[in-house]
This record gives sequence, C-alpha cells and structure tokens, in this order.
Amino acid sequence: MLDAARVQKELVECNKDCHISGISVDLHRDGSSLYHLTGTISGPLDTPYEGGAFEIDIVLSESYPFQPPKMQFKTKVWHPNISSQNGAICLDILKDQWSPALTLKTALLSLQALLSAPAPNDPQDAVVAKQCLNDHTTFVATARYWTEAFAMRTTVGTEEKVKKLMEMGFPENLVRSALENVKGDENMALEKLCSG
Amino acid sequence: MFEDENEDADLYCYDFDQEFEYDEYLEGPRTVLASSTQVITKESLLAAQKADLQSVMQFLPISEHNARVLLIEYRWNVEKVLDVLVDKGKDYLFAEAGISTSKREDSASSSSSSSSLTCCVCFDDVSSNNASMMDCCHTYCNTCWTTYFIVKIKDGQSKRIKCMDPKCNTVCDETIVRNLVGATNPQIADCFERSLLESYIEDNNKVKWCPSVPHCGNAIRVDHDDIYHEVECACGLQFCFNCLLVTHSPCPCTMWKLWMKKCQDESETVNWITVNTKPCPKCHKHVEKDGGCNLVSCICGQNFCWLCGVATGRDHTWTSIVGHTCGRYEENKVRGSIRAKNELHRYIHYHNRYKLHLDSLNLETKVKVKTQEKIASLESKQSKMIDFSWALNGLNRLFKSRRILAHSYPLAFFIFGNQLCHGKITREQRDTKKILFEDYQQQLEYNVERLSKALEENFDTFEELDVMQTRLDIINLSVHVDNLCFKMYDYVENDLLDSLFPTGDRIAPYISKGIERALELPAGISKQSVDLESSTDDKTGRHASLKHDLPRRIEDGECSSKKRKEEASTGDGFLDLNVPPPPSPHSLYKG
Ligand SMILES: [Zn+2]
Ligand SMILES: [Zn+2]
Ligand SMILES: [Zn+2]
Ligand SMILES: [Zn+2]
Ligand SMILES: [Zn+2]
Ligand SMILES: [Zn+2]
Ligand SMILES: [Zn+2]
Repeated sequence: MLDAARVQKELVECNKDCHISGISVDLHRDGSSLYHLTGTISGPLDTPYEGGAFEIDIVLSESYPFQPPKMQFKTKVWHPNISSQNGAICLDILKDQWSPALTLKTALLSLQALLSAPAPNDPQDAVVAKQCLNDHTTFVATARYWTEAFAMRTTVGTEEKVKKLMEMGFPENLVRSALENVKGDENMALEKLCSG
Repeated sequence: MFEDENEDADLYCYDFDQEFEYDEYLEGPRTVLASSTQVITKESLLAAQKADLQSVMQFLPISEHNARVLLIEYRWNVEKVLDVLVDKGKDYLFAEAGISTSKREDSASSSSSSSSLTCCVCFDDVSSNNASMMDCCHTYCNTCWTTYFIVKIKDGQSKRIKCMDPKCNTVCDETIVRNLVGATNPQIADCFERSLLESYIEDNNKVKWCPSVPHCGNAIRVDHDDIYHEVECACGLQFCFNCLLVTHSPCPCTMWKLWMKKCQDESETVNWITVNTKPCPKCHKHVEKDGGCNLVSCICGQNFCWLCGVATGRDHTWTSIVGHTCGRYEENKVRGSIRAKNELHRYIHYHNRYKLHLDSLNLETKVKVKTQEKIASLESKQSKMIDFSWALNGLNRLFKSRRILAHSYPLAFFIFGNQLCHGKITREQRDTKKILFEDYQQQLEYNVERLSKALEENFDTFEELDVMQTRLDIINLSVHVDNLCFKMYDYVENDLLDSLFPTGDRIAPYISKGIERALELPAGISKQSVDLESSTDDKTGRHASLKHDLPRRIEDGECSSKKRKEEASTGDGFLDLNVPPPPSPHSLYKG
C-alpha cells in the first residue's frame, strides 16, 4: 500500500515555499487520488525556459517511495533529455538512482536543474540533442519559442500572431516555423513568408 | 605357481614392454594435469563459497558480509581482490565495492539508549530501538528498511542492496536484511539467501551451471583461465565449458553452432529435393533435373515430363514432347544458381560422413554389452589371462576417436568452405591445407575402422595365442589412433585456426584419457577452510561469532550431503576406462 501519510506530508512540505522554489505539487485535476499528482516547475532564470511554467504528470506506484515516481512533462518542451513528442524524461534519479529518502520535491528540483543543464550526450530526444550539439543558436531559439508558445500563461500573443498571419493566407506550419525562426517578431515573420 | 609364471615368461616380458611403452607415452609432455574441474552441488555450493570468503577474510580483517560484497564486485576472483588491494590500497578497494568502515563503536552503543529520531523516509518519529544503522552510520526505521529490502529482493537486486541514503554507495549489511525480512517474510528472506548463494555461480567466470535438461542442479567450476575446456558433470553430461553445448572438439564453438543450425535447417534440404527432383514413374527413384528442357531421363531408362511427372517418349523439342500434351511444357525458370546446388552437394558430402560416425556411436551400448559377453565367456574358460581391460579400453578409445572424427567434418566443412574463410588465404594455400588435413582425417578414419574390426572379432572363440595377438593388435591400434587424434588437434589448432582465425575460438585441448570428469567438492567445510577459520579466530578473536550468522539450513545441507556422498561412492563404480591399467604383470595371469 502507498504510504499516504508520507505523501500528504510531502504535499504540505513542498507547497510551503513554492513562491521561493518555484515548485509545487497538487492532486491531479480530475481526481482526488494520491496516486495521480501534477507538479509545476518554473523555468530557471537565464535559460530559454525562463518565464515558463511547466506542468509535470506524476504517477505513484503502490510501493512509493521505495520505487521511483513516474514523471512526464505535460507541457511541451524543447530539451535534449525530454521527448519533444510525449514529454518522457531521461533522468537517472527517476530510474536506478532513485532512493526512498528522495521526495517529489527533490525530484522536481532535479528536473528544474535539468532544464538549466541539458545533457545532450545522454539524450531522450535524438533530434533535439543533435541540434543542441551542432547548432546551439537554433536550439536556444527553438527552445525559447516553445517556452513562449506552450509554457507561458500568456501564450495568447503568439497564438494571435499565428492567427493573423494565417488569415493572410499562409499555411499554419509555415507561419509557426517562420515565427520560430525570428523569435516571434511578427513583421520579420511576414517578410520571411513573403520572400518565400 | 612359480612354474606357471616361468612358462609364460616370454609372453609376459614381451607384453610388459608393450604396456610399458604405452604408459610412458601417456605420461609424455602433453598429458594434462589431474582433474582441474569440480562439480558444485546444491550441498557443496556453500562450502565452495565459504572457502573463498575465508581466504579474503584471511588477508583483510573484515566481516563475512563485507568479504561477500568484495567478491561479488570482483566476480569471486580472490586474486583480483588481492591485486587491487596491493595496487590501489584498502580505501579504494572498499569505496569501489560499497563497503563502509565509518560505523564507530561509540555511535553504535549510544543508539542503544532509547532516544528517538525522525526517519527520513516515512517522516515519522521512532525510538532508536525500532531503527537500524548500517555501517555507513545512516539510520532509518525498521519498517522502512524492511519494505525497501522486500522491494529490492523482489526486483532481483538481492546481491547489491544499497543504503537508502541518496548519496550513499554502501551495500546493506546482509545480517540486518536477513533479520528484518526474515521476521515478517521468511519466504522472501529465503529468496535473498539463495541469491547470495547463487551469486557464486552466476557472477563467477570460472563457474557455470551444468546445461543438463532437466537440470541436475549442479554447477561446474574450472580451476584455470582456459574457457575452451570440455568437462563432465556428475550427472554424466559432457559439455563444452565455453558454449555449454554437448562436446564438439575439434570443431570450434562458433562453427559448431553454425553446423547445428545447418543440420536443423535440413528440412531445407528436403525441400530442395522435392523442388529439384521428381520420382521416376517407373522405378520411383528421385531424379534430378539437370538441363534446361523439361524432359528428364531416369537412370533406369525411363523418360518423363518434369512438369506433370507422366512417362513419355524420348523425342522432344524445347516446346513439346512428342505425343505428350500436358500443356505445361514451357521455358524452365532457373531455380537457384548452380552454385547453390554445388554448395548443397558439398554440405551433403560432409554431413553424410559426420552422420556415419554418429550412427556408429549410437551402437555404443550394444557393442559394449557384446564385448562384455565375450569377456565373460573368456573368463569362464579358465584362461590364464585374467585381465581383460584391454578390450574395454580399446572400445572406449574407439568411441572417443569416432566422436572426434565425426566432429572433424563440420570443422572441415566451414574451414575449407567459402562462408567463413572467403578471401582469408589464397586458393592454393587453402588447397594445400585441405590436402594435409584430409590426410590426417583419412589416416584416422582408416585406423579407427581397423580398431573397430579388431574389437568386433569373436575373440572369445579364439585359441589362447590368438587372443593374445588380438589383444596386442587392439593395444597397438589404440596407441596409434590416440596419437593420430593428438596430431589432428595439433594441426587444427596451430595450422588451421591460428593462421585463419587468429582472434577466433580455440578448441578444447586433446586429452588422451578422455574428457575429464569433474570431482565432487565435499559439501562440508573443507579441512583447509576449517583451519583457516580457526586461525582467524586465534588472531583477531572477532570472526568466531560469524558462524552463528549462518542460516539454519546450512547444517541441514551438511547432513544431507554426507548421505549423498555415501550413496555416490557405492553407486558409482565408473572409472576412466580409457586409461590403461598400470603395468602390473602379476595381475595379467592367474598364478
Ligand atoms: Zn521510516
Ligand atoms: Zn548509507
Ligand atoms: Zn549435470
Ligand atoms: Zn563450445
Ligand atoms: Zn527410373
Ligand atoms: Zn532436351
Ligand atoms: Zn507433362
């Protein structure tokens, strides 16, 4: 059986200083089970993830904390150790390096640290990792664009730009990649789209 | 009595010389040492393991638990542990393996007072009586430890359960694991115990489970680094220590695996025959289609249509056979290249010879019984000769050599074929090697058949002098065949494998006496290790208590194994019959 007392204590402990740590854990929206939780981490400063709020799906097994929690990014994120497809995470403490003395908070802190320090040589997403190694500038731009597009509460800005450009008759995929290339500058994107 | 002996003096002296030479030849430089392999039974596994643990504890003042941690880390290689200790020092050795020596006596005693602490896993406050501290000084409550151990044991990680502290590499004390888990889940504690025991087999380069099916429960240990070795388990199975398949020298492991695969695919051959041959409508022999047109001729003289199999006349063109209208006579699609067909013929050639010797081997028991009957009949004749081991020795030599001959064909198939050896040497070089090898093979084959014939003779009906002659023939042929086998192995090892596959498999060495039967290890703690144990006790006085840590069933193991040993010694009369008896002229004749 899941150690409910411990999980309860963890939730209280973690949310006590969430305004400082930028990390919080809550029950999953559509349920009241302690097995299914949602974590939130804020993107670290001075990284392309700054300003983003990333949601993480957390599933606990019967033998938690003696087995690691299952964690997966719900928010799309462009990072070599996180799948750009499904948010799966490649992190040792969520696998064989897990210890029962670690907590959900320490695990989420590790994820935050992972955002600051990508490890492209041990990748989860090969495409991102390759870009991170070979074309770092593009990698940073893409990561930034994804943060703005998916992790910011005010993503309306980007979506409005997309909508506007699409109304001008450009297909959505071209609009998005153009915006991505110019870091969201609407005029430059239009110029780019017009020049073909 | 003495007169009798004098009468036979000539005969006896002559024989003695023969026997003597044979023996000296066996004791020659190529003879391999006494048994270097041991059987480890369920009962002796503990003793075997203990002996290694104790030799580590002899040069390092550590507990049995930590000795086991070290040996699991270094795959039960005591010398390796010693090497690392000498080269890199004790601290490095311990840190790498996950051994902590920071637990101090005072901290252990202070925790025995009933103070309370907060367990960092369940966040509960517990009294220190209900918490356990590992060697690294990390303490958690017993409930958390127990749950943690059970999760790890069920997960198959019994051999290396690390401390719960996230940054700590220390392996948990097996005594604590045993006690905590055993208190609530004895079955899981047993599982833990078994994993520790079996680590000696599974994490050990020198020990492997016997591959018998159903499994005999034994493992085999070799005392040297040579993995290309053929062994015999106590259950009677003879196998290759490297690939765990039934013995196959002088064919190397990889080639043998390819050969087994090929033999299994023989259904393919059957397919080929059905696709490429058709039964003659007259004599029903399988006729292979050779040319391009669809008229085939059987050696019985019958012609028939390839497409429908109906008998026809001989007159035909590309498009039709005179007087035949099956409507299917058309340009033949060439099925498979001629090369593929040649390859198959080549396989069939080698396989036939391989099979021939195997089939003869299958008669082994039958021939043995017959020879024993002949011996019994000679013995009943009140002959002066009382020792007939030459007949059984000859027989064993015959079977052994036949097996070698059989296995030499798969070797030749691959080593002189294109599949593995293409482009390694020139065609001429290969042909030269092939001629030489086939010469060894033919000589061996010829003499094996002679030996076989000599043994099949009804020497029990012979006059005494003729029996003596047969005996001499068999002894001489055995020596000769043995020598030829040795030469063949030598040629394979040095002239074929070394030059063609310098980095590939080697073959098990040729052992004239036959495949070594592994010796059963005593199940009790051997005398040597008992001595070791008592000496450690004398020196430090701290290991004595370790004996009490042993699980209870070890004592049971000792009892049952003693019983087992007795049974084995009465029930198993088999000795190596390939070894000629030592020259003991007095036993040859009745006095
Ligand atoms: Zn606890
Ligand atoms: Zn520790
Ligand atoms: Zn066996
Ligand atoms: Zn083998
Ligand atoms: Zn015919
Ligand atoms: Zn024709
Ligand atoms: Zn026809």
